[in-house]
Amino acid sequence: MRGWLLSAASLIALVGGGFAGPASAHPHVWATVRSEVIFGPDHQITGVRHAWTFDEFYTAMALQGLDTDGDGTYSPEELKPLVEVNVESLKEFDYFTYVHLAGDDDNLLKLKAPENSSLDYDGKLLTLHFTLPLETPVDPHAKPVDIDVYDPSFFVAFGFATEKPVQVSGTETKDCIAEVKKPDTESAEDAKALTESFFSQLGPNSNFGSQFAQTVVVKCGDAHL
Amino acid sequence: MTWASFLLCLATLVWAGSILHVEAQTKSPPAAAAPTAPPSAFAPQAGSAPKSSGLFGGLFNWVLATQQSLQRELATSVRTLKTDNPLAGAFTLAVLSFLYGVVHAVGPGHGKTIISSYVVANEKTARRGVIVSFIAAGLQALTAIALVGIFAVLFNAPGIEITAWSNQLETVSYALIAMVGLWLLASQLNAIWREWRGAPADSHHHHHGHDRDHVHAHHHGHAHAEGEACDHMVDPRSLAGPFSWRKMMAVVFSVGIRPCTGAILVLVFALTQGVFWAGIAATFAMALGTAITVAVLATLALGWRELALKLGGESSKFGTAVWTICRLGGAALIFLFGATLFVASLGPARPF
Repeated sequence: MRGWLLSAASLIALVGGGFAGPASAHPHVWATVRSEVIFGPDHQITGVRHAWTFDEFYTAMALQGLDTDGDGTYSPEELKPLVEVNVESLKEFDYFTYVHLAGDDDNLLKLKAPENSSLDYDGKLLTLHFTLPLETPVDPHAKPVDIDVYDPSFFVAFGFATEKPVQVSGTETKDCIAEVKKPDTESAEDAKALTESFFSQLGPNSNFGSQFAQTVVVKCGDAHL
Repeated sequence: MTWASFLLCLATLVWAGSILHVEAQTKSPPAAAAPTAPPSAFAPQAGSAPKSSGLFGGLFNWVLATQQSLQRELATSVRTLKTDNPLAGAFTLAVLSFLYGVVHAVGPGHGKTIISSYVVANEKTARRGVIVSFIAAGLQALTAIALVGIFAVLFNAPGIEITAWSNQLETVSYALIAMVGLWLLASQLNAIWREWRGAPADSHHHHHGHDRDHVHAHHHGHAHAEGEACDHMVDPRSLAGPFSWRKMMAVVFSVGIRPCTGAILVLVFALTQGVFWAGIAATFAMALGTAITVAVLATLALGWRELALKLGGESSKFGTAVWTICRLGGAALIFLFGATLFVASLGPARPF
């Protein structure tokens, strides 16, 4: 009996090295997010326009080799291939943007291919701009709408800007507000993410990053009063 | 007991490093510390920084916050290299990189699981585990430097291409790890089969008083020829089997050809700032940091095994059981990790 107990202990020992915590996943790229919730006809949300400002390291990496004419600046033509690659490969990652009715995380609203995408470089940091139209506009008057921004694998750490993180634009939106939801420390999502098995966190379907999700809530009419 | 003192030594080192870091921080001029970025979600005072709770929540947040602030400070220190006091800048850069490495290695891709598993399955003492950790980290640094040196410096290739190559190497590394795991598993099974047939470990039951030298001699002599009677109890430690350079180098190589993404970022950033040499220095300082973290974890894992063996006391049957589990489990874990990560790495190309 004692033997088996101790064998079990040695098994734990074995895995000890691997379990430096499920803290395994960690970000390499940081993106500061500023978003615009676009309203269309009938005060419905038609899409989201993102501006993601990357950290200095990723900026350097992305711009490496792109100054093809060697004039020290990055013209829109020089940045164009990078914009295309970024936007195209974002599709496989759901644009790191998950739109759903509040409290209904499982039914994600479909997004269309990005429009008006561009990169701008202010001499220090690179910012990616693009608009994500919703396939079907959604009405936030009946129920608040959540927009989550995160990378499930947590390679990219997204965080909303401290100033003007989110704005509304488009048609008359006086009774609607969009605000960043304070991270819910005891949310069920946290518990879910933390109890996930170790191997699933390594796998392609890892949802480790969801616990760091940044959420914008769009509320209208009485919902926010 | 060596592992304990070693661990203590490393802990002291890391601790000393963090003191140094705090000092470096307080001494840096306020101008350098001021955030250069536009309003960021990751500024130290930001309330909206990603938060998580739960069992490891505090640790996550700490690792996350530390890494982000270190990365920002790294960027600042690379820039100060060009301006005032390059010597102080270089020193700060080295210290920061080292600390970044220590923290960074907690994340995946630095071989801590692979190396720990290998050490638990194959090594008698922590010493070689530490050596393995250091060689692997050094090789990762060299791979990163070679990659950036060839593609960015020589060919001025775009960042996307460098990332793509880095991902290719990652996939190859995982495939190799899985294969090395299979190989280790096969050779362990083979060895166990031969031992089981050749010498029932508990045929005699007596003293357990071998000193280390004796074990060592015994191990090198490897007197367990087939069918040969064993005239004394087998010290469970000797079941580690003869040390094999080939096995060790296979593990080191499979882990080492995957360049550290963090190092690539620092290298490219340093290159754009016109101080590529500083990037190389930072990469090695970083490798030293990751090596220490990995070595500590591998040593800890080994310590657990030793504890399990010790708890078994006089029972050689138990010792054999622990060793068998460690040998097979360690090899199996290497294979599983390699295979899982290999499959995961075949996913679509990342946008950033």
